[in-house]
Amino acid sequence: MIRMGNHESVWVSISKFFLIFLLIMCVFCLVYVRSSVVSLEYGLGELQSIKAERLKEQKMLLAEKTSLLSFGKLESALKEKDGFTMPDRIKVIHVDERRHHMPYRVSLQRGHLAEP
Amino acid sequence: MNKKRAIILHTVIVFSFFLVFLRLADLMILNHERLSEKAERQQMKVEDIQVRRGMIVDRRGRDLALNLELESLYCDPKLFEFDKRKITKLAAVISKEPGTILSKIQTEGRFSWVERKLDPVKAKRVKELNIKGLGFLTEAKRFYPKEELASHVIGAVGIDNQSLEGIEMTYDRFLKTAGGKVFFRRDASGKTLSSGANMEVTGSNVVLTIDEVLQRIVEKELDLAMSKWSARSASAIMMDPFTGEILALANRPAYNPNEIGKASNYEKRNRAITDCYEPGSTFKTIIGVAALEEKIVRTDSLFDVSKGSIEVGGKTIRDVHKNEILTFKEVIQKSSNVGTIMMGMKLGKEKIYKYAKLFGIGEKTGIDLPGEVSGWILPSEKWSGTSIGAISIGQEVAVTPLQMLRVYSAIANGGFLVRPHVVSGIISSKGSMVFSFKQKDSTQVISSRTAEIFKEILKSVVEEGGTGVSAAVDGNWVAGKTGTAQLVNPETKRYSKEKYVSSFIGFVPADDPKLAIIVVIYEPKGQIYGGIVAAPVFREIARQTLSYLDVPIEDDFKPEQAFLVSR
Repeated sequence: MIRMGNHESVWVSISKFFLIFLLIMCVFCLVYVRSSVVSLEYGLGELQSIKAERLKEQKMLLAEKTSLLSFGKLESALKEKDGFTMPDRIKVIHVDERRHHMPYRVSLQRGHLAEP
Repeated sequence: MNKKRAIILHTVIVFSFFLVFLRLADLMILNHERLSEKAERQQMKVEDIQVRRGMIVDRRGRDLALNLELESLYCDPKLFEFDKRKITKLAAVISKEPGTILSKIQTEGRFSWVERKLDPVKAKRVKELNIKGLGFLTEAKRFYPKEELASHVIGAVGIDNQSLEGIEMTYDRFLKTAGGKVFFRRDASGKTLSSGANMEVTGSNVVLTIDEVLQRIVEKELDLAMSKWSARSASAIMMDPFTGEILALANRPAYNPNEIGKASNYEKRNRAITDCYEPGSTFKTIIGVAALEEKIVRTDSLFDVSKGSIEVGGKTIRDVHKNEILTFKEVIQKSSNVGTIMMGMKLGKEKIYKYAKLFGIGEKTGIDLPGEVSGWILPSEKWSGTSIGAISIGQEVAVTPLQMLRVYSAIANGGFLVRPHVVSGIISSKGSMVFSFKQKDSTQVISSRTAEIFKEILKSVVEEGGTGVSAAVDGNWVAGKTGTAQLVNPETKRYSKEKYVSSFIGFVPADDPKLAIIVVIYEPKGQIYGGIVAAPVFREIARQTLSYLDVPIEDDFKPEQAFLVSR
């Protein structure tokens, strides 16, 4: 007759307790993970609506910027307020480079650079 | 006693569990399908994916049409609570009569628009009124940041973003895209969970051949001309004569596409392609080119126009200024009616008709804008006795400004008839090229030799002694032709003595053309001649454009003597 000692029954009890504990922990973990996912989804939903708002603002600002930077508005602002003029390729500075000593002769008209 | 109690308690517990089990079985097995559907309906929310039109940009990527997100005010009549004070305030905010607002609200159903696409300031003020039953929905509004600029090219859309005019209409199938639906989960409080889906889709972007700066130059000069000559209307087109790319196209009057509802049909007309006019002397170029091509004349052929008039089919046609004997070149340079009619009579009506058709008169150019008309020229067999004289000097023929510009572009580019276009490419919202314009093999309508000879003749028009000296530009040779045509008085059905169309068509630099420009001024007051009214507009447009495009100065400029330091 084989006698089972107390030692073995203690291990069985511990294992049973541990398994039950593990099972309960798993259930809690599942619930925790599930609730975290749902909270994340809420968070994402909120972020998405914030993103949509920001995009809306960005579009408005971009439109305003484009409108303000239109060539017509820039031109009239620069011309009328600050006295700027459009570049004119005729109004160039001509420099006589035939002379190799300083100072160079400079004129707004090429004809003025001709030798006397 | 205790045992009896224990049995009763035990029975109650077992029975309670049995009831719970039965209920669970009812919920989970017997009514599962119905209840899960009900839950789905309650928990799921369906939303449309927002569809946005693609952007329209100029040739350098500057935005010409884009989208804004604005809020539209709606009403749920069942939830709406009438408050006279608040409605009066609302009416003041959205600039409408209280009666108009109430008429919109008092409708059947659960939804009616009160005001679409409110600007953000107004929307904020309406929200502050806190009127029960009113709500907001976000909608896309098309916005044209450059306002009137290139309005006849870009076009416009309606309140529901449906295309109405211009590129918005022609390229609608690319600009708009299909939407779809997205399903969201929501909780009992109506709070939505993320779907993870993209809630907005955008159509393809359209890249124009138009340049914002050139367009602005053209429009600015047209405005000045309109006010200087108190003209009824005006058109101008700038085109690359080799590729057919329209660099600028403008009409006056114009409209603001952001307020398309306020624009009249008169303002909305893209008269550069929809309005026909008699080209007058600018048509003489076709006669001259045909005469050269058919070898009926040489550049030194002489025409005796000393009589100052010529009779055709019993009708006498006169020159504006009396001349003596003119060479072929001088006939064009001085725009002699008599000389050109002599040339036309030598050519014969069949040849005139043939060359007019070769140059695309009476046919659409095929530009990618809506509403283009073909103009007309009667077949030669239907011409009257006076037609050969009238058509030779640009009467009895109807053309659009674009058709005439194409004729002169053919001379500028060596004889090829190009297809004008305003779109150079279409780019998908992901950045890949969907379509890019490719010029089909252009038809050569005249020999390059004839084109070269005629280029020299057109240069003489802008030189001393020509009719178009006011079109001369500092630093580059200009080739072009003036035109002055009478308008028909609709009451008398005869040519009016007060109403004229003044025009100038030319290209610059004449020997290596970068631009072909037409300017047409309708009914100028005070002066009528193309050389006085339209040629200076051409000069100003060309001068500024050449500077902007950095086209080098030619004439006798010698780089070894001077060089550009700064500007």
